[in-house]
Amino acid sequence: MTPGFPAGDPDTKSVRVAVSLPAVSRSGRWLRSQSARRLSFGYALLAPAALYVSLLVAVPFLFSLYLALSDASVGEQMASFIGLENFRAALEMDTFWIALRNSVMFFVMAAILKSILGTSLAFLLLQNFRGKKLVRALVVIPFTLPIAISVLGWKWMYDSQFSVFNWVLSRLGLIGAYGTDSWPVWLGDPHLALIACVIVNVWRTFPFSAIVLLAGFTSVPPEVLDAAKVDGCTFFQRFRHVVAPMIFPILMVGFLFDTVFTLSDLSVVYILTQGGPGNSTQVLPVLAYQIGIQAGNLGRGAAIALFLVPLLAPVLFIFLRNLKRREY
Amino acid sequence: MSTSALARPPRTARQRETRRHLLIYAGIIPFVVIAVFPIYWMAITAFKQDPDLYRMDNIPFWFNMAPTLKHFQILFYQTNYGAWIINTMTISVWVALITLLTAVPAGYALARLRLPGAENTGIGIFMSYLVPPIILFLPLSRVVASLGLQDSWWALVVVYPTFTIPFCTWLMMGFFKTVPMEMEEAARVDGCGFLGAFVRVVLPVSVPGVLTAVIFAFTLSMQDFLYGLAFVAPGDQKPVPVGVPTELIRGDVYYWGSLMGAALLVGLPVAILYNFFLDRFIQGITGGVGK
Repeated sequence: MTPGFPAGDPDTKSVRVAVSLPAVSRSGRWLRSQSARRLSFGYALLAPAALYVSLLVAVPFLFSLYLALSDASVGEQMASFIGLENFRAALEMDTFWIALRNSVMFFVMAAILKSILGTSLAFLLLQNFRGKKLVRALVVIPFTLPIAISVLGWKWMYDSQFSVFNWVLSRLGLIGAYGTDSWPVWLGDPHLALIACVIVNVWRTFPFSAIVLLAGFTSVPPEVLDAAKVDGCTFFQRFRHVVAPMIFPILMVGFLFDTVFTLSDLSVVYILTQGGPGNSTQVLPVLAYQIGIQAGNLGRGAAIALFLVPLLAPVLFIFLRNLKRREY
Repeated sequence: MSTSALARPPRTARQRETRRHLLIYAGIIPFVVIAVFPIYWMAITAFKQDPDLYRMDNIPFWFNMAPTLKHFQILFYQTNYGAWIINTMTISVWVALITLLTAVPAGYALARLRLPGAENTGIGIFMSYLVPPIILFLPLSRVVASLGLQDSWWALVVVYPTFTIPFCTWLMMGFFKTVPMEMEEAARVDGCGFLGAFVRVVLPVSVPGVLTAVIFAFTLSMQDFLYGLAFVAPGDQKPVPVGVPTELIRGDVYYWGSLMGAALLVGLPVAILYNFFLDRFIQGITGGVGK
């Protein structure tokens, strides 16, 4: 540490050797203090991040459990413990059940669509062709654009009167004129609105599915496949016993991320429909926001948000197990 | 060119190659159109005159009247858009700074200093990235209120690191594992302390990793909508992704030209920047601890 300490100075080197050789008996203590210094330095470096995350993620998470068991509201400082009352009240709300059903339906529909689109795109991007880099860069834009911003673009494309989709459909003669029954009002029709929201989610996340799948495929070393081929494996066997087990962990992580994002996302539905018309697009995140912030009932909002945990927990569990396994 | 191709012997191979390309393009073009069309539509909307936007008898995919910058003038002179851009930038700088000061040292400590339980601590920190904002925003609203930060963008400076720190710590952990161990050892033999070895030897060669962390602190912050919506009510305090959808729609009137301009002007640069680092993001979440 001393400034001007000459790194390659032969004198200092010889001194060090001279000191360390006879100091065998003291090396234990030297090591101990050395490792003690290493540890204290390490913990000092780790502390700010660990503190930040504990104070603003772990503690709030526990605090949300407490909120859900209390009658806390936005205006008041004091809250009293009311047990499971919020959960009971939520379960008695019709809107809650609608939101739960919509959340699950939203998730399932979106998952099916984006896995079809994502898989086909991944197989196409697996080929070698000219302009592939450009194509890839263009195709992932939906995922990289800030979500609130792209949803706004979709809101304009779903406009009740000037929707570009309707322009195309009416030019193709598939729908009637504006104002007639066959003119789809994407966000105003209870039957269409949820699908319209699902489409936005799929549009945003199918590139992610494709890229994750691609990362999985490229993680399989060609030598392994060749070896399997030499050993006489058929294409199906290679896929079943070589490719699938190797890409499975990566796919699981992608699936986990998408699940957390899709189930907990509020922006698509909030910006497009605010849950309407008539709760037809109401999902748990939007309901939690409306009750927790807009209606000011923190406790009940927290309880509704916590209903997402059982939906997310299995995926988190698989993720953790996966991580542990990958270490070895 | 086709005649010469036909005349040469490898013509079948070349033809096969051309046909393969045509097939692939036929498959991939729909995806490109699906991905890019909404952005194109937003862009052209931002430059169209209002009468051009609201008529259905023209072909809407190109300008039927001269393009205009009027929507952008409205944005900058009649709305808080300028303030939102400044808010967004200031928030990003603070968040990046907080993230760097915490995540870089933490990533180093977890990757290199052989702390007992380092792997599990790393996983624990990363897991907090997976706790969705929808579960945290109500308790955090109490935290923000008790800090007296409600209704100012400072609330977001405090809250955004809850997802940037976990992700960037994880990222830096992976990054520091790739720095050769010998460098620190050499520095330590030369008499550097732990801090000296970290600051003078490891950090200088880790600039690319640190820059990546800065980019993610920025792009991940831009993906937020819920925290901004819940914690910042005053119109002039919002960041762009929250201000545009909540403030530019007055009552039931949508000024689509300005809305699309406002959205893309900030969204597109972020998307392009993120695009360059997308592979790092995917690696970060799928690569696991070992890489």
